[in-house]
Amino acid sequence: MRALRLALAGALSATALTAATLASTAGATTTLKGCDSATYKTSGKLTVGTDNPVWEPWFSNNKPSNGAGYESAFTYALARKMGFSKANVKWVTVPFDASYAPGAKSFDFDINEISYTPQRARTVEFSKSYYNVQQSVVVLKTSKYANVTTLAGLKGAKFGDQVGTTGMTYITKYIKPDAKPRAYNTLDLAVAALQSKQIDAIVVDTPTGNYMVNVQITTKSGKALAKQIGQFKSVGEHFGVTFQKNSKLVACVNSAIAALKADGTLKRLSNQYLSDYTAVPLLK
Amino acid sequence: MAPGGRAVREFFLSPTHAWRAFIGDPSEGLSAIWEGFLTNIWMFIVCEVLVLIFGLAIAVVRMSSSPILTPLRFLSTVYTDFFRGIPVILVLFAVGYGVPGMDLGWISQQSPTVYACISLTITYSAYVAEVYRAGINSVATNQLVAARAIGLRQGATMRYVVLPQAVRNVIPPLLNDFISLQKDTALVSTLGIVDATQAAHIYGSLNFNFAGYTVASLLFLLLTIPMTRLTDRLINRDRVKRLAFIS
Amino acid sequence: MIELHNVHKQFDQRTVLHGVTLELQPHEVVCLLGTSGSGKSTLLRCINLLDRIDQGDIIFQGQSLLDDRIDVDLVRRHIGIVFQAFNLFPHLNVLDNITLGPQRALGRPKHEVESEARELLGRIGLGTRSGDYPDQLSGGQQQRVAIARALAMQPDVLLLDEVTSALDPTLVGEVLDLLSDLALQGTTMLIATHEMQFARDVAHRVALLDAGRLVEVAPAQQFFDSPSQPETVDFLSRVPKTQ
Repeated sequence: MRALRLALAGALSATALTAATLASTAGATTTLKGCDSATYKTSGKLTVGTDNPVWEPWFSNNKPSNGAGYESAFTYALARKMGFSKANVKWVTVPFDASYAPGAKSFDFDINEISYTPQRARTVEFSKSYYNVQQSVVVLKTSKYANVTTLAGLKGAKFGDQVGTTGMTYITKYIKPDAKPRAYNTLDLAVAALQSKQIDAIVVDTPTGNYMVNVQITTKSGKALAKQIGQFKSVGEHFGVTFQKNSKLVACVNSAIAALKADGTLKRLSNQYLSDYTAVPLLK
Repeated sequence: MAPGGRAVREFFLSPTHAWRAFIGDPSEGLSAIWEGFLTNIWMFIVCEVLVLIFGLAIAVVRMSSSPILTPLRFLSTVYTDFFRGIPVILVLFAVGYGVPGMDLGWISQQSPTVYACISLTITYSAYVAEVYRAGINSVATNQLVAARAIGLRQGATMRYVVLPQAVRNVIPPLLNDFISLQKDTALVSTLGIVDATQAAHIYGSLNFNFAGYTVASLLFLLLTIPMTRLTDRLINRDRVKRLAFIS
Repeated sequence: MIELHNVHKQFDQRTVLHGVTLELQPHEVVCLLGTSGSGKSTLLRCINLLDRIDQGDIIFQGQSLLDDRIDVDLVRRHIGIVFQAFNLFPHLNVLDNITLGPQRALGRPKHEVESEARELLGRIGLGTRSGDYPDQLSGGQQQRVAIARALAMQPDVLLLDEVTSALDPTLVGEVLDLLSDLALQGTTMLIATHEMQFARDVAHRVALLDAGRLVEVAPAQQFFDSPSQPETVDFLSRVPKTQ
């Protein structure tokens, strides 16, 4: 069903974009504010960075170029607004740490569930929000914390998280657990630690957490072994795409995001890929 | 200065970032690097002691000539070959995620620090056993003969005559291995332990700044440089002594 | 005390000892002469069981040392040996070199063996050097300590393997003087040596080993003054005349 819809969308936009592609030299032709002064890594192309592997529901089957998954679909919608055809979107692999290291970047922007923080914004440029994040707590169903509904109830739990994600901030700021939280180099290692009961809980953004409990931490027959016991109340955390500091592309991308918000595209993509996640209760 | 020099300097050397990373800030999700470094230090100390003991045991078994110990001798040979050949990080993965996953009761319920210590000890015991073995081989045969001639049994000969000389001969290479061990305690972060490097990593990715890594590097240098100097001094002393002997 | 019967020893294809037969009485001093490579050292090492003989028998205090049931380490506690190269333990000071055997092989209490060791050191003229390490001593002093180390085990017999050969000529005297003293005190000794004058003065009997064969064993006086075998005559004619 989803594939069919995407194919249709591609076919519809193809004719509309031919003219734009022909006209583009330094940038793509578009009427969006801020895009006339935009410059690109490779002229005529939009070069987008993301990590490898990438995860559901943000991407699908570890293939950013397939247009499926929230971030992939969003990227193509954004590109269309900026005047790029699907064929002119080029993906490059950028490990998270490399996305903010100093020096010339290999991408026009990077999209990788990166949360905006003022500290981070001193080193890179962030776009406006393309998704407002809430963080959730994932535990095993057999855990003694499986039925906890409050933050205070989690004080005794051993927490783990992927190193350097904002989830860690929620742990140390709002839960203040007795045991020092552990930091794993990748999310799968944190999941492995949860499954082997090395840790009791992982704090992770709600959509990713949902994927964990429904797909990652399951029996062979697909029965869920973990659950999202709740999410933190929204504190304005949001994902933005990141650019090299002082990038000339920021204004253009922000205009495109505003347009996608205004015409309901963001809402539609969110419903399509992330709709399930509003059902998770708030932790008191 | 390179065109990007200023940015790189800010990225790696910013004193503000360095200090924040060093002291940490729980309200921002930041672990203190100094606190992480304490983990490195105590892991290093515990592992070092264990490595000295196990390494010696393996070397002695491997060098023994008693027929009763033949199976053990074979095992210790396999052991040293195996663990000297495998990257530490793979041992850490196998022990740190494999053992807890096996559901073996209390064996599977230890903290990651325990598994990390076990992994480092397993690997470094293999290195150190070889160092000891070289040391035991370096003791002149006439020392063995002299010991046996006054009626010392094999065990006593090993303990009172061979090992004291063997250990003295291999102190510099032993210290070298310990310097690597000190640095390799940084690998325990693969098990989720927030040591100095992991605290720096957390700081780096939450602030997009690597000054924390610089801080961690300095702390490691504070630990390893005295050790390196000591090793140099011992090597030098040994050399002077040997020269004196030749003349 | 010790009887050697028809002792043969081979290393690979080379026969080093060809049927040596010799008896050593309690309190007797026998000097073993012979050119380098004649088999003197091998013979001593065989008696101490550092090397195993291929044929023949060695009887010590009425018991064959070739018996599989005997405890080699135990035998060595009764038969002391001192080497040409001293082989002191470089990591132990003089006192500990001497007490190691009595303490760790015989299991005797530390205070007891230490006071004995100090007494021994006094006897060999090194009473003040007990805390020194071997590399702080001259060759002669080291060899005296090595002899004291062997004596500390209170062996029934002492084997000495060219103990002065590695020494500076000026240091030979002090070691030979010590051996003379030991002989006078009735220590049973089998001494492999090149020191003719010493052999003549100290040994009760002198034996000549030639290419692994014991060609002549005779009382010292007789050995030097009227040797009966042509090999002995030849040997004595080739070494510098003593006196």
